[in-house]
Amino acid sequence: MKSYFALVRGSFMAIMMYRLSFFFTVIGNLLYIVLLYFLWSSIYRGVETIRGMSFNQAFVYVALAGSIFTMVKTWADWEISWHITSGSIIMDLVKPLDFQFYFLSQTVGFMAFNFIMIALPSALVLLLFFGADVEMGVGLLFLPAGLILAFLISFAIDYIIGLTSFYTESIWGISMTKEIITTLLSGALVPLQFFPDAAQRILRLLPFQAIYHIPLTMLTAPNLDVRACLGLLGTQVVWVVLLFLAGRLLFTRASRVLMVSGG
Amino acid sequence: MNDTVVHVDHLSKHFRILNRREGLGGAIRDLFSADYKTVRAVDDISFDIQAGEIVGYIGPNGAGKSTTIKMMTGVLKPSDGTLLVSGNEPYANRRRNAQTMGVVFGQRTQLWWDLPVIESFRILKEIYRVDDATYEKHLGMFNELVDLKALYSQPVRKLSLGQRMLCDITASFLHNPRIVFLDEPSIGLDVSVKSKIRSVIRELNRAQRTTIILTTHDLGDVEALCRRIIIIDKGKIIYDGPIGKVTALFGAYRTLKVQIHNYKEGTSDQLEAALGARFGGDAAIAVEHTETGWTDVTVNQDQVPLFDVLRFVMETLPIKDVRIVEISMENVVQQIYDGALK
Amino acid sequence: MRTLLHYVRLYVLIATQYVKARMQYRADFWISSVGMVFTSIATVFVFWVLFHSIPDLAGWSFDEILFIYAFYLLSVVPLQLFFDNIWQLRFHVVEGSFIKYYLRPINMMFYYMSDMVDLKGWVQLALGVFMLIYASQRLGLTWNLWRLGVLGMALFSSSLVAISILTIAACATFWIVGSFPVMDLALKIRDFSPYPMTIFDGFFRFLFTYLIPIGFVAFYPSQFFLRPEQVPLLTYFSPLMGIGSFALAYFVWTKGVNSYTGTGS
Repeated sequence: MKSYFALVRGSFMAIMMYRLSFFFTVIGNLLYIVLLYFLWSSIYRGVETIRGMSFNQAFVYVALAGSIFTMVKTWADWEISWHITSGSIIMDLVKPLDFQFYFLSQTVGFMAFNFIMIALPSALVLLLFFGADVEMGVGLLFLPAGLILAFLISFAIDYIIGLTSFYTESIWGISMTKEIITTLLSGALVPLQFFPDAAQRILRLLPFQAIYHIPLTMLTAPNLDVRACLGLLGTQVVWVVLLFLAGRLLFTRASRVLMVSGG
Repeated sequence: MNDTVVHVDHLSKHFRILNRREGLGGAIRDLFSADYKTVRAVDDISFDIQAGEIVGYIGPNGAGKSTTIKMMTGVLKPSDGTLLVSGNEPYANRRRNAQTMGVVFGQRTQLWWDLPVIESFRILKEIYRVDDATYEKHLGMFNELVDLKALYSQPVRKLSLGQRMLCDITASFLHNPRIVFLDEPSIGLDVSVKSKIRSVIRELNRAQRTTIILTTHDLGDVEALCRRIIIIDKGKIIYDGPIGKVTALFGAYRTLKVQIHNYKEGTSDQLEAALGARFGGDAAIAVEHTETGWTDVTVNQDQVPLFDVLRFVMETLPIKDVRIVEISMENVVQQIYDGALK
Repeated sequence: MRTLLHYVRLYVLIATQYVKARMQYRADFWISSVGMVFTSIATVFVFWVLFHSIPDLAGWSFDEILFIYAFYLLSVVPLQLFFDNIWQLRFHVVEGSFIKYYLRPINMMFYYMSDMVDLKGWVQLALGVFMLIYASQRLGLTWNLWRLGVLGMALFSSSLVAISILTIAACATFWIVGSFPVMDLALKIRDFSPYPMTIFDGFFRFLFTYLIPIGFVAFYPSQFFLRPEQVPLLTYFSPLMGIGSFALAYFVWTKGVNSYTGTGS
């Protein structure tokens, strides 16, 4: 456990070394919120609610989706792919650490940094300067757990994508496809409520909405009760377990390829 | 016609570097810090190099070698002083300078990674506007030196390090440059490939009287190729002259590396004192304990027979392991500071 | 003129070799192309979802937005095809391998960009053409030689603007350690260029028209075709904007290249 903690601390420190880059990250995220504000203002020009969502709800939803994006973007797929194609994976495999948890702990540092330095300040700016409101209900109590589970799901997907590098060199294409599918079908760009009803029914069966739509529901849906929240968390837990197991299964198969072909 | 290819006069290069703090708190404070220090990477150096010379430009890590090369190749702008390469100021006339020089960096190829070797040569021909006759003539010459033909259809990424280096070196002579910079050409290669590379360099130098500046860690390269060497340390030139004197110096010295059982703080000082008492107290023997756990006993064989020292050490202390190595670059520099060349 | 010809010959030589070499990785080419298809239609998909619930966006219909987006796709094709190495710049600079671009007697920006031809650009080209034709048909736009000429001119200017914005952002790596956020910021802003600039007001309309002129990547030039009766005067300055911003980008590049010190000793 201690060695994993050292990895977390290391990745956190590494980011702090970059001075100006940090300021640009903050500015970038603020500007993004502003652009979204303009876009959604013009979408809501002249109407009160669309598909049952008020402007405030929809704006908070997509703006905070941006914050969640910075948190759950692990880059683990690129990282793992780089380790595999460069051959340095051999060095990872001889370490007495579990491969999946090794990469997980490396990304936790980034996640913590992005949460504290980007997601949280963006959310505060949103509440203080844009006059946006979140639902002050039980949903907020479940939010921390919801966010952590969202991060784990995102990592588990990135991990699986990264492992495809055992079979093909084209991580760019696969990763971009994953990226677009994840953001489009999860509510990261448009609230799930805006999709046609038939589409919504399908999207709710996929893991992507568990990354964005579920935590954002906790923040924006009025009158959530404890049972509903537990249901949401339950859905996330199921996806975490399934995707982590899938990743481990794929690794066992893929590393056999490595043993045979010699990398 | 003036035969000076490189003219360096009171040349300096300074860098401003941020003072970084340690630890997590330090990293956070660094976000707002403006605490800089000036580093004199190259500090007031002067020399001239004539056409056809092969000069070894050597020194320990961080001595200012690369900074000098970067200035001569037009990458860095000098902070102070005069620098002329083939009559050009490299930084001000980067493209004109590049036309008359060739460069090889040992660790990274400048050929096109995914392309077959011959295609890299064709592109270089186009870049330097080499005419067909010269191109054919040079390729013919390279073929005699190295069996390049066998490699032509291979993509660069599939070549071995040695093959790649040979291609890189010959490629740098393709446009008939007046001067070629070779940075660590034999790094990471085994002995037979090293000697092949050295003979190719020697031939290429002879063919067109091309001036060559060689930077290296490998004293063997210098010994095999250069008549003149320039040694730089901490940005200053500490030796510029014929190689003979220096060869004599590092030729005579050997380092005895010993691992001492139960090594304690001060053991190396006691050993040095004991050796001084036994063999005489001058600079003939130096003892230093290194971080790797080995104790280095550096011996001038002209004054003290190495094996006498070895026998004495083995009798005085419990020794686990022994190795004898040639003197390192750092040792040579240290010897020069200690006045060995005076 | 001789120099220009020299560069054209050189580029064709390098590019054909590069394409030949890349074609050995055929699987990668197809998978990357699929990724590019997804990337290129993502924004259209968002609009498609949105227009299920709203009749228009700031007075622009779905077909008009589609037209602007098609224009946008076409104007980023040169950036994708010929300037894609810009994304590698920070790695080259940090690892010190950027030094090799100083060592040849040719223009550095040319040499640097010639190192990579991004073949995925063909996807944007194909999708752009397809969407442009589709949207034109839906909007009842007719094309003649004169209008195609204007389109070519407009795309030329727009592509220069798109190239310049990303180039300037990438150059940040010469001065900032870890310059990815700058690049990311530029990309986020660029992603807003297919939106009607009329959704912004005051300061931000000014910003995206004059300072970071993403309005000129797609929105302003496409007005020539969408609403020719009310083209803002500004739109006629598109070529000037394109050339001006590229000159600025080249200036920043030169400054950055000159301030590079390389890594190591």
